Amino acid sequence: MKKFQLGEFEEIVLLTIGILHGEAYSVSIKKEIEERLSRSVSLGGLHTALERLEKKGYIKSRDGDPTPDRAGRPKRYVEVTALGIKAMEYSKSTRDSLWKALPKGVVGIRKSIRS
Amino acid sequence: MKNSPQPPRLFHRFFLWFCKPGLRNHIEGDLLELYNGRIGEKGKRIADLLFIVDVLRLFRPRILGKLAKHQNKNQYSMFRSYFKIGWRNLVRNRSYAAINITGLAVGIAACMLIFLVIKFETSFDDFHKNPDRIYRVVAATTTPDGIVYKKSSAFPLARSLKIDYPQLEHVGRIWIQDGNQVTVMNDKKESSQKKFKEDYLFFADPEFFNIFNFPLLAGNAETALSEPNTVLLTQQTAERYFGDWHNAINRYIKYNNNRVCKVTGILKNTAANTDFPLQLVFSFKTSRNDTSMDWVSQTGNLNTFVVLPEKVSAQQFDKELIGFVKKHTPSEYANQGYILQPLSDIHYNSKFGNYRGTTFSRELITTISLISIFLLIIACVNFINLATAQAVNRSKEVGVRKVLGSRKKQLIFQFLSETFIITVIAVFFAIIIARFALPYLNSLLQTSIKLHLDLTSMFFLITGIIAVTILSGFYPAIVLSGFSPIAVLKSKFSNKSVGGLTMRRVLVVFQFAVAQALIIGTLVVVKQMNFFRNTSMGFDKDAIITAEIPGDSISQSKITALKLKLLQQPGIKNVSFSTFSPADNSHWGSDFIFDNSIKSKDFDADADLKWADADYFRTYNIKFIAGRPYDEADSVTGFVVNKMLAKKLGFKNPAGIIGKKIDFWDGTVVATVIGVVEDFHGTTLAKEMKPIVLGSLKNTYQLVNIKLQSKNAKQTLASIENLWNKNFPDYVYGYQFLDDKIASFYTQEDQISQLYKAFAAIAIFISCLGLYGLVSFMAVQRTKEVGIRKVLGASVGHILYLFSKEFTLLIALAFVIAAPAAWYFMNGWLQNFAYKASIGPGIFILTILIAAVIAWVTVAYQAIKAALAKPVNSLRTE
Repeated sequence: MKKFQLGEFEEIVLLTIGILHGEAYSVSIKKEIEERLSRSVSLGGLHTALERLEKKGYIKSRDGDPTPDRAGRPKRYVEVTALGIKAMEYSKSTRDSLWKALPKGVVGIRKSIRS
Repeated sequence: MKNSPQPPRLFHRFFLWFCKPGLRNHIEGDLLELYNGRIGEKGKRIADLLFIVDVLRLFRPRILGKLAKHQNKNQYSMFRSYFKIGWRNLVRNRSYAAINITGLAVGIAACMLIFLVIKFETSFDDFHKNPDRIYRVVAATTTPDGIVYKKSSAFPLARSLKIDYPQLEHVGRIWIQDGNQVTVMNDKKESSQKKFKEDYLFFADPEFFNIFNFPLLAGNAETALSEPNTVLLTQQTAERYFGDWHNAINRYIKYNNNRVCKVTGILKNTAANTDFPLQLVFSFKTSRNDTSMDWVSQTGNLNTFVVLPEKVSAQQFDKELIGFVKKHTPSEYANQGYILQPLSDIHYNSKFGNYRGTTFSRELITTISLISIFLLIIACVNFINLATAQAVNRSKEVGVRKVLGSRKKQLIFQFLSETFIITVIAVFFAIIIARFALPYLNSLLQTSIKLHLDLTSMFFLITGIIAVTILSGFYPAIVLSGFSPIAVLKSKFSNKSVGGLTMRRVLVVFQFAVAQALIIGTLVVVKQMNFFRNTSMGFDKDAIITAEIPGDSISQSKITALKLKLLQQPGIKNVSFSTFSPADNSHWGSDFIFDNSIKSKDFDADADLKWADADYFRTYNIKFIAGRPYDEADSVTGFVVNKMLAKKLGFKNPAGIIGKKIDFWDGTVVATVIGVVEDFHGTTLAKEMKPIVLGSLKNTYQLVNIKLQSKNAKQTLASIENLWNKNFPDYVYGYQFLDDKIASFYTQEDQISQLYKAFAAIAIFISCLGLYGLVSFMAVQRTKEVGIRKVLGASVGHILYLFSKEFTLLIALAFVIAAPAAWYFMNGWLQNFAYKASIGPGIFILTILIAAVIAWVTVAYQAIKAALAKPVNSLRTE
């Protein structure tokens, strides 16, 4: 049984929200991911992921103040909830335990991956 | 920000339209922020383009969300209300719902089963490579009576076709043998005790696999049939012979105890829907007929198949064949001819027949599909009748709905959706009924049809549901939705003013017309079957068994001794050897020269040759009207002919033919006629009697005919088997009662009679169900009337009369419609048979009696209940 449902993209979004710490809203998240991971992010995909994360209770959102370059539309700021942090930790620890369980024979591969 | 550049309007609005409200503002803000940012960085055109891309990529489920719900909210809840009300109505009127659903379910189940049968029967041999270009070359012989068609061909036909018409893609022959023995040989190539009598032994040219698509599991299709004494087995046969089919290859079997054949390949088991029921396929060269140059003899066991090149039609090639036959056939046989029969016709055309001997005529397909449609319609009629009869109960609802603003269209839709519920439930039950009825149908039709949902069946089911819904729901919906709200709500509304009474009567008449037509049909078919069973064949067929005797010379030399031994057994009256039984599936027909001069074919008297020893007449009790039987001899010493032959040859007094000479095959068999027997049926009663010639020709005997004292002579049968096995240790013993064999001539008619019985029963059942529903409704409606009548002195009889009068009249009217139609149709069916029962008035009288009695019984329960009710109870509550 999986304790926490967290997809790969969702995890990245969750981490990025954490990195942006209080300044996270869709456009800033998009830019951050695009810069750090050099992969393009569509608004559609991002919003879908945000919706999902919110539904699962990993993030919560609040409306920001309207700005002129958004034609008066509010920003939707998001932040990670305690449950979201647990989900991130769980995801990391499962990966780590898998990495540790990697047998010696493939250490070379492991190293080469790391380098 | 009025002057700032705007993103593409169309896509902007598109986004606002599809996005779910909760996200709309935020995402719109994001889009605009990105857009404005991009204008600065990349210019307006790129920004526009990227805006469009963003919008399109936002078009996904989680962001659309509410779209569908929002649009159809109103309709959706209306739908739910329709179904809810429909369901409540159904539950409230349980008995009517049960009647409707049962009737529809039975009707739909019958339809489904017939659909499956037709789907199966029309799928025959559609799996070959170019099924529309494969043809069978069939014989069309011109006779004074017209052209006679047979599936026969002559052995050299294929080779000459190949030489004369190199443009033919493939030409191949199939020769088929039935009832031959196969002995399995062990791995040391010695005969084992595994002996089988096999039907459907195919001998095929190497082209077989180029023409037909029968995949091989092992072996090479190119070479498998090119050498003599080789054989292919189907997987099933191989397993029967050798256990595991993998072991079968390169093993040996012995055909007819004299030909050792090597197994060169394993065929995949054939599908059920093929007229080529393969078990063993020998190379044609094994048959020793390969090099025959006899153009005159034709046999139905030999079929020639061709694959026409593209763009050549069968008609064009038929014309070519006229010249081709003229070139090769001797001039005195100029009446012989060949035409092409499409592969797709083989399964349906009884004129030519197929290997299984069970064609399924297109006429029969049309008939049963028509009947199934009629059954469905009468089930729908039940629904219409009950729904319109009950309409008054729904009138208030309709009035209120209309006052509240329902449109007629919406009401129609409401009632249709109620019908839809009932139909879907009925279909569900129909599937269950069909599931349980299918095994019976399969055993009746000797098919292996399975009930599974493929694409065509799904399509059929869905169209069926829609068709039934509309057929049964539309008229009641129109009636119900047509009520005027004022009239309805003023409560001056009775059943009389609802209307639809005439329509109901018409529909009841229709139902009973269909049911009675089917009863007449059934009675005619049953009568014809009884006629087949009970008509004297002109010879004795009771308590006679026939068994095939081996054809090799050693066995043949034993038969005279066998006969003596058989006659010593208790319980055996007579023993006779012959080529055929008096009535047989196989025939040996030939022309002859009569009285040194006349060729028989000039006056159409091809003889049916039945070679038999002198005891044949006594065994079968065939009566002489002139002359005497021939003496026991190995070769022909004198002929015995039947009366018909004498008549065809122009003798008014049959005795006149005695002493005249008959010459078969240019002097091969010549003798004088020494006796004339009474005519007897040499084949099924469906066909005309034929002129028959009998003579003793020992080396052609294939059968031993044994007349027993009584049919249930187990001991005698055992002693015969015992004797047989002692005399012919290498052969499989098998016998058949002659009356069983004769009964098997009529398998298809028997199937049809069973089908008709089922159809008639279903039609009667559904109609009576509807009638019962109507009467019980009437009884409720007329409770008060009955009460008053009884108070005023009406007797129970009067009340019964009141209820049954109308229905009796309607049934009589239905009979007037059904009788001529059924007579016309069944008379047409009877024309298939040379000897037929007359339809006669008895059948019609019986039909109307059956219909009336069943209807009365149906009506009776409700009518008696109403008639016996105490008037006090019905009149007290006002």
